[in-house]
Amino acid sequence: MLEIKNLHASIDGKEILRGINLTVNAGEVHAIMGPNGAGKSTLSNVLAGRDGYEITQGEVIYKNEDLLALAAEERAQRGLFLAFQYPVEIPGVSNVYLLKAALNAVREYQGLDELDAMDFLTLVRSKLELVQMDEKFLNRGVNEGFSGGEKKRNEILQMALLEPSLAILDETDSGLDIDALRIVSDGVNALRSPDRSIVMITHYQRLLDYIVPDFVHVLSDGRIVKSGDKELAKELEKSGYSWVNEESAGLPA
Amino acid sequence: MKPSVRQLPEVATPFASVAEALNVDQMPWLTELRQQALKQFNSQGLPSKKVEDWKYTSLWGFGQQTFNHDALVHAVTAEQVEQAALLENSYRVVIVDGQFSSALSQLDNIEDGLTLSSLSTGAAQVQQHLGQQVDIAKAGLTALNTMLMKDGIVITVAADTVINKPIELLVINSGATDDLAVHLRNVLVIKQNSKATFIEHYIGLSDQVAMTNVVTEVVLDEAAELEHYKLQQESDNAFHIATLAAKQAAKSNWHTNNISLGAQFARNDIHSRLEGEQSHTTMDGLYLVNKQQHVDNHTRIDHLVPNTTSNELYKGVLDDESHAVFNGKVMVHKDAQKTDSNQKNQNLLLSRGCEIDTKPEMEIYADDVICGHGSTVGQIDQDQLFYLRARGLDEVTARSLLTYAFAVDVLERIPSPEIKAALADVIEQRLPRGGAAA
Repeated sequence: MLEIKNLHASIDGKEILRGINLTVNAGEVHAIMGPNGAGKSTLSNVLAGRDGYEITQGEVIYKNEDLLALAAEERAQRGLFLAFQYPVEIPGVSNVYLLKAALNAVREYQGLDELDAMDFLTLVRSKLELVQMDEKFLNRGVNEGFSGGEKKRNEILQMALLEPSLAILDETDSGLDIDALRIVSDGVNALRSPDRSIVMITHYQRLLDYIVPDFVHVLSDGRIVKSGDKELAKELEKSGYSWVNEESAGLPA
Repeated sequence: MKPSVRQLPEVATPFASVAEALNVDQMPWLTELRQQALKQFNSQGLPSKKVEDWKYTSLWGFGQQTFNHDALVHAVTAEQVEQAALLENSYRVVIVDGQFSSALSQLDNIEDGLTLSSLSTGAAQVQQHLGQQVDIAKAGLTALNTMLMKDGIVITVAADTVINKPIELLVINSGATDDLAVHLRNVLVIKQNSKATFIEHYIGLSDQVAMTNVVTEVVLDEAAELEHYKLQQESDNAFHIATLAAKQAAKSNWHTNNISLGAQFARNDIHSRLEGEQSHTTMDGLYLVNKQQHVDNHTRIDHLVPNTTSNELYKGVLDDESHAVFNGKVMVHKDAQKTDSNQKNQNLLLSRGCEIDTKPEMEIYADDVICGHGSTVGQIDQDQLFYLRARGLDEVTARSLLTYAFAVDVLERIPSPEIKAALADVIEQRLPRGGAAA
């Protein structure tokens, strides 16, 4: 599904990612953990195609294509989905309009016709249920005046509708109270499937109690310094990131 | 400020010969008005950039142009009219190349209490109002209009009457006559407790050079209401000059909405006088310009008595090398206590080459008022753009959508759902990915 090889990326001349290697197979759930400043958000932005990053070395292969050669919208159309850490408010664009435009962009790429209004609405309603959102959110501006929890649920709603092949969840747990965290996690778990991969990027182990990963990686100073299963996350929770940093201090730069 | 006098521009030359034709209406009072206007125009000419109100807008290009004042045969079909009209269901008054066309108009089953006529037949009805809301001594272009006005619409609504169907004045330039100049005068008198909806719609069918110079005078009696829309879609080579002025009695409500999309050069002067208590003006506008277009909106609201309110929102989207000017003045006079006034101008710049000059102004001579104003200039938000692209929308579509989202609150304030929808369509078509947005 996704293969990241020796990825180096800089912003404003400062190297943030310093040689990332990661392979994600279909159906797998990976968690990437790390302290602040490790490069977690840079990694998700680079994968989703945000402007402003310079790739200095390495490559990313997604479904046998050179991911980095594609524009952000082309990646989305090919089934890559980024759930934003800070979903943007867009007053003047209704939520339902965006959902429809996004779904049709994916369907157009897949060579499918646009859904008609009735089918679309039926589909959206079923997805709203999944994240326990009221239908009134459809006609509000995108994320406009949404609480932190509502914004994150809205991200998962979009994900549920678009049914991506690869979902990158960037700090999806941040700013969520325990109830919202449960709803969001239930939504994500319902979307786990053998042909869908999920990469969770998170600072805290808490999320992993709800969405149990197959693999856990520790990102530190722009590189993955340790990989393991879900037990690794528990160890981190106990000993903190300094433990990893000490262990990896001996690695060549 | 006294308009500066300068040498009479080329534009005046053909007009001087029109002097003999000032008696065209064969109404002595109107001939007298035209003669006064001629005198005023000859003494002041067109305003130069030295006049504060014309600081950012030059009439030089306009002054270089020689215009024709007589239209050739105009060939506009009923199908073209149907296509050009904003609304399907309306009283439609059609003016082609400066002349009222009864054949192309749609004036069946006029509701009781409403009279609609062209200026050429209806001027006598509004003798006491014509020329009262504008000052030919202050505005050269209004003087020009007054001496040469040929047609337009006269609307009166009797007291205690609600006119349900909107009235669309469709002004078409067919392009059949080279460099045609058209001077129109509209007069609307809405009597007490009455209500009407009026759309002035200007459209060009070719890219012919043309000039439209229109003056619209509005009289709102006590508790009268007028929804007043103006949609300007003239050709890229057109000069469009419009003056709208209203006086408002107590409890009256003038809701204006001024959408400027076309013309190489467009200037709107919009003025309301709140003369009666509890009267209200809404002054909204939207300008979408690109290429080398120039649009200048000057608005003025005079709060003359206590307890009046006004609310103004002008939004602009500028692309390429276009230039827009916004100058909104709110005057709160000495006696106008408890005035509540809010004015906003917001601009979205889509290119490096465009220019906006914005000047919201308030002059307040009363001490117990609530007044606020402000202006903003911004660009497409990169985070919003990335968010949309990350959801699969290509860049052009995403930009169009964000542009529409910026402009939409001017549309949201439109009271009539039917007109709101029609204008939303027009705006969407104007965006780079027409129709794909919203």
